[in-house]
Amino acid sequence: MAEKVLDVVDLETHFISDGKVVKAVDGVSFHLYKGETLGIVGESGSGKSVTSLSVMQLLRNTPGKIVGGTIQFGTLDIAHASDKQMRKIRGNQISMIFQEPMTSLNPVYKIGRQLTEGIILHKNVSKKEATQRAQQMLEKVGIPRAKQILNEYPHQLSGGMRQRVMIAMAMACDPEILIADEPTTALDVTIQAQILELMNELRETSQTSILMITHDLGVVAEMCDRVVVMYAGQIVEEAPIEALFAQPKHPYTQGLLASIPKLGEEVEELTSISGTVPTPETMPSGCRFEPRCPYAMARCKEQNPVLKADEDGRVYRCWLQEEGSHE
Amino acid sequence: MSDVLVEVKNLKKYFGGKKSLFNRHPDTVKAVDNVSFEIYKGETLGIVGESGCGKSTTGKMIMNLLEPTEGSVVFQGKDLTELTGQKGRAARQKFQMIFQDPYASLNPRMTVRQLLTEPFKIHGIEKKNERAKVNKLLELVGLNAYHADRYPHEFSGGQRQRIVIARALALNPDLIVADEPVSALDVSIQSQILNLMKKLQRELGLTYLFIAHDLSVVEHISDRVGVMYLGNMVELTDKKSLYREPLHPYTQALLSAVPVADPTVKKQRVILKGDLPSPSDPPTGCVFHTRCPFAMTQCKQNKPVLQDIRGDQHFVACHLYNGSAESEAKLKKQIL
Repeated sequence: MAEKVLDVVDLETHFISDGKVVKAVDGVSFHLYKGETLGIVGESGSGKSVTSLSVMQLLRNTPGKIVGGTIQFGTLDIAHASDKQMRKIRGNQISMIFQEPMTSLNPVYKIGRQLTEGIILHKNVSKKEATQRAQQMLEKVGIPRAKQILNEYPHQLSGGMRQRVMIAMAMACDPEILIADEPTTALDVTIQAQILELMNELRETSQTSILMITHDLGVVAEMCDRVVVMYAGQIVEEAPIEALFAQPKHPYTQGLLASIPKLGEEVEELTSISGTVPTPETMPSGCRFEPRCPYAMARCKEQNPVLKADEDGRVYRCWLQEEGSHE
Repeated sequence: MSDVLVEVKNLKKYFGGKKSLFNRHPDTVKAVDNVSFEIYKGETLGIVGESGCGKSTTGKMIMNLLEPTEGSVVFQGKDLTELTGQKGRAARQKFQMIFQDPYASLNPRMTVRQLLTEPFKIHGIEKKNERAKVNKLLELVGLNAYHADRYPHEFSGGQRQRIVIARALALNPDLIVADEPVSALDVSIQSQILNLMKKLQRELGLTYLFIAHDLSVVEHISDRVGVMYLGNMVELTDKKSLYREPLHPYTQALLSAVPVADPTVKKQRVILKGDLPSPSDPPTGCVFHTRCPFAMTQCKQNKPVLQDIRGDQHFVACHLYNGSAESEAKLKKQIL
């Protein structure tokens, strides 16, 4: 697992609206190894989706702009790549699955046409070969009657089936990286279980690296090897999956883990993090979590700590690191 | 807790089915198909199920927001489904609802004060001490008196849901029907709202009907839980029995499908094959037999009845527990 397929360094993506600058992603660095699943966890507004859109260069027609940092993919820096270079990569070497399978498929084209479009474009094959490949992919993702489904429209399929089609489409060109942005959030639990199982199977057979963006810590625990926790546009903790759940280091991660009710566990009151995620207007000048942090100190108000490893090699962004243990 | 507050009897809701010029052979969608249960005073009854199982439709019928095709909702000896107009509205005073989306539940052009006094206006309650009442309500849900003159857009999602709850409390209701009240909220906010709802229940003696798809949230807040599938109640019991010893194969699959936030746990998972059948063309017999790993021949023919199979208030609608030789054999296999 030594080979890095993606290396993001100091990524900064800003949105400009009404002359105001919103720093949606503010100095984010992470890397993805070959064949691993990296989770990016955070609540709404944490910048996790904008990070993934930046990696895909999908912010061109929005007020968003990558203003700093690099996204190294092989020899190419995606942050500074041209549209032409990106067209070759998107859907081919890096592909993406979105949350809402209904809005990700074009309602007026048949499944077959939507699936073969990318294959024809990237693999330079005939329509017939592409159709064969499309059918194979549908069978691979467990769609019954694959041949007929090619001739059907998205509205004829259920939510779970549509998400399978999306996965088939994303995997059709054997991408090196699959970015999954809340891939199961819109699905029911029993269907979610099917899709997660499918993604794990595909990963084992194809060695694709997966960047899993989600707010669901249960999904993270089941799918990921490593996790990056984001809060207000920055990474606050990065850890291997077992370490993160066994011993979360950052007070935000601790609060997040404590606030989910767990099946089979009885507690009268859930732990909760007081307050709300800061808006761009109320962004604290020091540590961004300081207003909600139970351990906040005077120093936290003034300076934002840096993300770094402690003596045990655990990486998190907190002044408590220097104060010693806070358990 | 043995006093019955609301009794739901044989509730049905069929949508469509009307012939029209363009639709000569209309499909009837059986959204809720013969559901009966009781809500006890002071308890939280959770209803779980996946999308399309009829849990929200059931909630709306109890609120009298939808007219049932058949069946009754009995409250204080009266059948609410038969009350209309002024009487219906008066009866509804005691039932309040909280919806999923706090952004859509509040009129953006009204201040919090206007929103919170609206219930009094609708029910013609005199205006005395309005200011004090609003302050009291805001305080109850953890907001401050100075919030009263702000508009909904000035609040975050969690705060808006608090306002929605305050509004539901304005008329001292007996029952609050909460339809996915926390699913639009982030986890850290979700726990704040769940804690608030529990606190209010303790302080005000409220009864909740808590409708949600998230099994762990329902387990946390409920005393008893009902599981719905395709318009039918398939299992109903107290939460301990349901989560420790689910009897219906659907409940078993549903519980095993929930991802656990603990990477050291490797779950034995029952993965259900296929999708939910269309409610306009539900399977014959037991509605779950098309996806059930234990389906028998009789499941295709006869619809099982929800019954207390062991006399311990654990209701389940499944042929596996009818004592026949075939089901006994299946059950044994299931345990192995």
